[in-house]
Amino acid sequence: MKKIDLAISVRNLNLWYGEKQALFDINMPIVRNKITALIGPSGCGKSTLLKTLNRMNDLVDGTRVEGFVEFDGKNIYAPDADVLEIRSRIGMIFQSPNPFPMTIRDNITYGPKIHGVKNKSDLDYIVEDSLRKAALWDDVKDRLDTYAMAMSGGQQQRLCIARALSINPDVLLMDEPTSALDPIATKKIEELAVELAEHYTVAMVTHNMQQAMRVADYTGFMYLGKLEEFGETAQIFNDPHNKLTREYITGSFS
Amino acid sequence: MVSGKATEKSIGGNSDESGGKKFDFGKKRRSRLIDPDFVPRLVLTALALSAVLIIFFIIIYIVGESLPAFKEIGLWNFLTGDIWYFNPNYPADDPDPGRFGAKPLILGTILVTAGSVLIAVPAGVGAAIYISEIATEKARNILKPVIEIFAGIPSVVYGFFGMAVLGPMFVRLLPGLFQYPSSWFLGSVILGIMALPTVISVTEDALRAVPRSYRHASLAMGATDWETIRKVVLPAASSGIITASILGIGRAMGETMAVVMVTGSSPIIPEPLYNIFSNITTLTAAIVNHMPEVARDGIQYSSLFALALILLVSVLIVNLTANAVGKRTKRKMGIGKKSKRFPNLSEKIEVFSDNRLFNAIKMQRSRMFSLFWIILIFTFVTLMSTLMVSDLFSIVIGLSATSVYIAATVFVNSLNSTDRQVLAYGGLKLVIVLILVVLGVIIGDIVVKGLPAISFEFIFDSPSDSGVSGGIWPAIVGTVQLVGLSSLIAFPVGMGAGIYLALYAREGRFTNIVRQAVDALNGTPSIVFGLFGMSVFVLAFGWGPSLIAGSFTLALMVLPVIIKTTEEAISSVPVNLMQASMAMGSSKWQAIYKVVLPAAAGGVITGLILSLGRTAGETAPIMFTATVAFSSAASMSLFEPVMSLSYHLYNLAMEVPQAMENTYGTALVLLVMVLSMFLLASLVRNHYSKHNRW
Repeated sequence: MKKIDLAISVRNLNLWYGEKQALFDINMPIVRNKITALIGPSGCGKSTLLKTLNRMNDLVDGTRVEGFVEFDGKNIYAPDADVLEIRSRIGMIFQSPNPFPMTIRDNITYGPKIHGVKNKSDLDYIVEDSLRKAALWDDVKDRLDTYAMAMSGGQQQRLCIARALSINPDVLLMDEPTSALDPIATKKIEELAVELAEHYTVAMVTHNMQQAMRVADYTGFMYLGKLEEFGETAQIFNDPHNKLTREYITGSFS
Repeated sequence: MVSGKATEKSIGGNSDESGGKKFDFGKKRRSRLIDPDFVPRLVLTALALSAVLIIFFIIIYIVGESLPAFKEIGLWNFLTGDIWYFNPNYPADDPDPGRFGAKPLILGTILVTAGSVLIAVPAGVGAAIYISEIATEKARNILKPVIEIFAGIPSVVYGFFGMAVLGPMFVRLLPGLFQYPSSWFLGSVILGIMALPTVISVTEDALRAVPRSYRHASLAMGATDWETIRKVVLPAASSGIITASILGIGRAMGETMAVVMVTGSSPIIPEPLYNIFSNITTLTAAIVNHMPEVARDGIQYSSLFALALILLVSVLIVNLTANAVGKRTKRKMGIGKKSKRFPNLSEKIEVFSDNRLFNAIKMQRSRMFSLFWIILIFTFVTLMSTLMVSDLFSIVIGLSATSVYIAATVFVNSLNSTDRQVLAYGGLKLVIVLILVVLGVIIGDIVVKGLPAISFEFIFDSPSDSGVSGGIWPAIVGTVQLVGLSSLIAFPVGMGAGIYLALYAREGRFTNIVRQAVDALNGTPSIVFGLFGMSVFVLAFGWGPSLIAGSFTLALMVLPVIIKTTEEAISSVPVNLMQASMAMGSSKWQAIYKVVLPAAAGGVITGLILSLGRTAGETAPIMFTATVAFSSAASMSLFEPVMSLSYHLYNLAMEVPQAMENTYGTALVLLVMVLSMFLLASLVRNHYSKHNRW
C-alpha cells in the first residue's frame, strides 16, 4: 500500500445522544487534498459523523464521544484540545445557506475579525481572496456592502463557502451543501468543491449518489450508525464489497 | 488593497506560492488560559438566577401574606361571602375590621369581563377577518398600526374618557336607566374597547397561519372568497380564535384604573343579576380602593393580598388555557417550530379531513343551532327589556327581535353566494369603520379638548390650586424619572435572563417552570405589583412612597415582559447562524454578541421601547408606591415621592372636577408621550425588518 497523507484520521469513534448510541466504532481516513463523501440513508449518522470532525456535536446537549479523531497529530477530543482552534482550522458549510444578516463584506470579515485581524487592507485582501476562491467575486464585487440576504440561494451558499475560507482552514466539511439548491447552482458548487480540493481537504455528506460519483475521490457508505464500507469512489460504486452498499447504490434498498 | 490580478489565477491561496499574505488564524489562541465563555456565562447565569428568584419571591410573598385572611375567615367564606366592607375606623377607633366576603368582587369581575367579551370578541374577530383576508395590502399596512394605537392608550386615559364623555352621554340618552354616569355597562364598554387590540392581533395571527393551499383548494372548487373564509379558513383557525378570546378575557380581567374610574367602585351584587345599569366593582378596583386605608399587618391588609392571589390564580388559569389551546392549533396546522420550513404533509391532510368531518357534523346540527340562537336572542333581548319597560312589553320586544333575526336569516339564505359575500363584506367593513370611529372619537376628544390647555406655562410650571391652574412640569419630570430608573433596573436583568433562557438554559423541567413563572407574572395585573411594591418597598423596607420604591415596583412589572420579548426575539434568529459562527471557531459568547444579538436587535429594541411606553402609562403600580398628588417642584431625590402624569390625570379626574381643562391637557401630554414611544417602536421594527429575512 502506498503512503497516504491523512488530514484527519477517525479511530474507534463511538457517539451517544443521551442513552442512544448514534455512531458505532467508526474508523475512517480523510485524505489530504482529496474529496471524501459520506453517503447513506436518512438518519444513518453521516451528518453526525461529519459534525464530530470539528466538534460541532458539542453544541447538542447530552452528547458523549469516545474514541479518537486525529487532526494535526493530536486527538481533537483530548481534554486539553482547544475546540475554538480546531473549528477555526476545520471549517463547515451547512445544509441550507446561512449567511449572517449582514452585508456581504461583513459576512467575510466576520471570521478574521474574531480571530484578531484588524487592519483594513488585510481585511479587504481577505474579502477579495475568499470571494475569488468561492467563484463569487465577479458577481458581487460591485455590491459588497449590500445585504447578503438579497442574493440567490446558490450565491448565498458560495458566500458561506467564502466565509468559511476567510480564515484559511485546512479542512472544509460540507453537510449536504446543495440540498437546498437548484441543479445549476448545484453544479457550480460541485465544480467549486473540485477546485477547492487542490488546496483544501474536503469532506462532504451527500444525499445524492451521483454527486458523490461526480466529485468524490473517496466514498464511505453508512448505515444505522456504522461505516459499512469505505474506499475509492470508483470501487464503491463499481465493485462494492458489502451487500448493504450494493443494495443501496443499486436502489434495491429496503 | 492588493491587486486583483495577483490572486485571480489561483483558486485557493492558503499556500505561499499564490503570492498572497498568510494569516495564522487560531494560532494565538493557544495561549488562552481560561475558557472565553466563562465570564459571560457566569454573568448571564447570575442575572437569570436573580430574575428567577425575584419572580418566585413575588409569588411566594403574595401567597404568604394572603394566608392569614384565608385562615381567619376560611377559604370558602372568603370566596362566597356576600358582603365586602372595610371598617375605616379599624383598628384605631373600632376593633371590628369589617366583612370580607369577596363574592361581589369576584362576581363583579366576571360580569364586567363577560360584558366586555361580548363587545370585544365579535368586533375583534370581524376586524381581524377584514384586515387579514379582505383588506388590500395598502389598507392593511395602515390598519394594523392604527389598531396598535388602541393598545398604546394608557388605562387612565380610557377611564377618563369613559367618565368624562361616555358616562354622561349614556345618562343623557337614557336618563331613566342610568342613575349614575358610572355603571357595569360602561365598564364593559370601556374594557371591551381595551381588549380589542389583543383579540384582533391574536386572531389575525391565527388567520395568517392557515396555509395558502387551503384557500386555493377551496377557490379551485368554485367557492367564493367569503365561502372560503367561512367554511375553510375560520374552522382551520378556530382554536386560534378561541385563544384570542381567552387572552382578551385575561386582558379585561386584569384591568384596574379604567374600572375604578367608570364602574362606581361599589361592592354590590347587581339586582337583578343582569342589571347592566347597576354600579359594580371588581377585584382589581377593590384593591385600589382599599390600599390607602390599610395598615401593614392585620386582616384588612391580608385580605387585599387574598384578592391579589385570587386574581393571580384566575389570570394564570386563563392564560394557561389560552396557551394550551394555542399549542393545539400549532400542532394541528403543522406550524410548530420544527415543521415551519417543511410542513408535514400528512398532518395537513389529517386536518383537512378533520375539518370536513367537522363541517358535516355542523351541517346536521345547523337546525338545532338556529334554534339555539333564537332562544338566546329572545332571552337576552327580553331580559334586557325588563330593565327598561314592563314585563309584558318586554316579551313583545323579545319576540319581535327574534322574528327580525329569523327574517334576516331567511333573507340571507335566499341570496346567491355572490350577494351573500357582498353582504358579509359590507358587515365586516362596518365593523372596521366603527372601530376606527371609536378610536377617532377617543383621540379626537382628547386632542381637541386638551390642546387649549397646552401652553408653555402648562408644560413648564408647577400645579397650583389643586391642579386647577398651573402646569404639570413636576409630573412630566416624575414620569421620566420613574421610566428611566425602572428601565435601568429591569433592562439588564431582564435581557440577561432572556438571553440565558434562549441560548444557555438546558431544556428540562426547571427551565419549563421558569418559563411558566415568567408567563404567570407577565399576565399578572399591574395592581398586584402595586400591592407587592407597597408592602415590600414602601412599608417593609421603610422607603415610603418614593421614586426608588415606585421604580422598583415598575421594574418588577416589566421584568417578565423584557425577559419574554428578549427570549422570543433571540429564538426567532435561526440556530444555523450561531452554528456558522461557532464552526469558524468563535466562542459561544462571540457568536451571541456579534451575530445573534445584532440579528435579534430589532425585536429586542422594539420590545424595550414598548415596555418604556407601557411603564409611562401605568398608574396602578405607582399610585401607592411612588406618587404624590401635588408637588411644587420636580424632586431630584431617590427617596422623595414624585408626581406622575398618569396619577396626576387620575387624581384630577377623580378629585378635582373643576380642573377639566387641565385634566384634558394632562391626558393629551400623557397620550403623546406614550404613543410616540409606540411610533418609535414601529419605526425601529420597520427599519430592522428590511434586512433580516430568513
